[in-house]
Amino acid sequence: MSKKSKKAAVKVKNLVKKYEDLAAVDNISFEVYEGEIFGILGPNGAGKTTTLEIAETLRKPTSGQIEVDGLDILKNTWEVKSRIGVQLQAAGFYPDLTLVELLKMFASLYQVEIDPIAILKKFSLEDKKKSYFQKLSGGQKQRFSLATTLINNPKIVFLDEPTTGLDPQGRTNLWQEIKNIHKMGKTVIITTHYMEEAEKLCDRLAIMDHGKIIKIGTPHELIDELLKTGFRREKEIKKATLEDVFLNLTGRQLREE
Amino acid sequence: MKTKSPNQIGPLLAIAYYGLRAQLRNRATVFFGFVFPLMFIFAFGFFGPSGASISIGIPENGQSTAIYSDISKIEGVSIQKGNPADLQRELQAGKLTAVLITENGPGDVKLLISQANQNQAQVAQSIVSGVIAKENLSLAGIKDLPINLSVEKVAGRAFKFIDFFLPGMIGFAILATAVNNTAFGLIFLKKTLVLKRIFATPTKGLTILVGQGMARVIVALAQTLVIVAAGVWVFDFTLIHGLFTILLIIFLSIIGLLAFMGFGLFIAGVATDENSVVPLTNIIVFPQFLVAGTFFPIENLPAALQPFVKILPLAFFNAAIRKITTEGVSIDQVFPQLLGLLAWSIVAYIAAARTFKWE
Repeated sequence: MSKKSKKAAVKVKNLVKKYEDLAAVDNISFEVYEGEIFGILGPNGAGKTTTLEIAETLRKPTSGQIEVDGLDILKNTWEVKSRIGVQLQAAGFYPDLTLVELLKMFASLYQVEIDPIAILKKFSLEDKKKSYFQKLSGGQKQRFSLATTLINNPKIVFLDEPTTGLDPQGRTNLWQEIKNIHKMGKTVIITTHYMEEAEKLCDRLAIMDHGKIIKIGTPHELIDELLKTGFRREKEIKKATLEDVFLNLTGRQLREE
Repeated sequence: MKTKSPNQIGPLLAIAYYGLRAQLRNRATVFFGFVFPLMFIFAFGFFGPSGASISIGIPENGQSTAIYSDISKIEGVSIQKGNPADLQRELQAGKLTAVLITENGPGDVKLLISQANQNQAQVAQSIVSGVIAKENLSLAGIKDLPINLSVEKVAGRAFKFIDFFLPGMIGFAILATAVNNTAFGLIFLKKTLVLKRIFATPTKGLTILVGQGMARVIVALAQTLVIVAAGVWVFDFTLIHGLFTILLIIFLSIIGLLAFMGFGLFIAGVATDENSVVPLTNIIVFPQFLVAGTFFPIENLPAALQPFVKILPLAFFNAAIRKITTEGVSIDQVFPQLLGLLAWSIVAYIAAARTFKWE
């Protein structure tokens, strides 16, 4: 799919972000193609969130350029903000407002008209419409956060570790929601430190560590490249994983505490 | 070329409206903004110094005398009955101002006064000696007195304790809302990433600050009205020019809030988390709350301290609002105090602008 349309949705060139002397992002360049799910994979502190937040116009780069949907993020900050959907790593919502109130508030901030109930329905949250955000379970919070990224009908959606802290059912469910967003024709950029998530969800991956991008490619390319070096797992892989066992025993049904 | 920033009216109103809703659902706002000042008003309105009431203990055996009947006719004096030993104990416990003993016949009157409250004791003593002097004259058969005192009552504005106390409570409520709510509110929004999430939308930083400020102005107005309403209905608080006085109080409250909010923003800039907000707000709010004319007039402080206390922001506010509520003057008469508030807010907003960080 990414081979067909190679138009860049996000173009990062020589990006550097320094905090005093520490380079959180150390001269990275990559492109995200329109219509793909692009994963930035890396351990904690690798610089994934910093990279994402610079592209989201939330932080200023020390040097380098980022174009989002063809617009320079520093020169066209306001236009970029209204063309992207953003999910932060943690909440970001008034705990004491109801879901409908929060959606209406964000609609006013994006200056768009929305049907809050329809949005909540899409994410199976319609019976929580009058609940305060703080009363939601972890999975519901992440689904709601995902829902708010669609308010302004963005072309590009940035998701920062959306499944961290969720149980396997919640994670599987959220992957489905992310795939649905992708099916709507949106470009999705996601950070994660779960390999399985990267493999199942992403068309292409960038592996990042110590502020640098070490490798970019499709999951298959990356694995094949490793195998070519003669790498073999010590044990023969079974046809199922422990996660498959777990989901088979406990079901894929969403759990809400 | 840079793109123009989007229209900010809609986002501004959204931030004010939803910020207000969230604030009113927050128990701390409601408690410190409304319940706390009302508790103070009710506590001090009922138990506070309500004019000097003199209570004199007179044992049963002394109650047939002319002195007793004369004293009992005096307004503002209450007479406590009982046996002499009990009355003396109550005097020592500070429950009575004086005890009048006539054990050895009507010609030998003894007045015991408490040293604990000298002013009241003095009043009790002069009341009793006045009565005795009158009694002496009539017993001596003197009818044409060389000096006659005639007392005439002149109508004056009754100055009640609530009239002093209530404006101070408005000052306290406004200061607490402006400093505590603003500082805690912003730190909370930073910590919960609400600010960051809003920044991901096409909304400017200034829009967020002004919107939040608008929400607080509305809270402050509600506080002022609740306090004034409680004062008028329950304690007969004097509104010299009626509705016009209320309008002036409201106007002054908004000015005060805007001035004090600079300190809240400054603290939100300096503090790194909620724990470091507490000592900073306490430093700004509590000393002013205690000395700047909330509970007692600044004139009661040692003379050396007064010039310093009088230039505190809350002192300017309290002085202005008291001039309006107790002297009935208009806004132009409180110009010096408004100037003082302006000077403080310039200092506070400059400090805030230098320290405030969005992240």
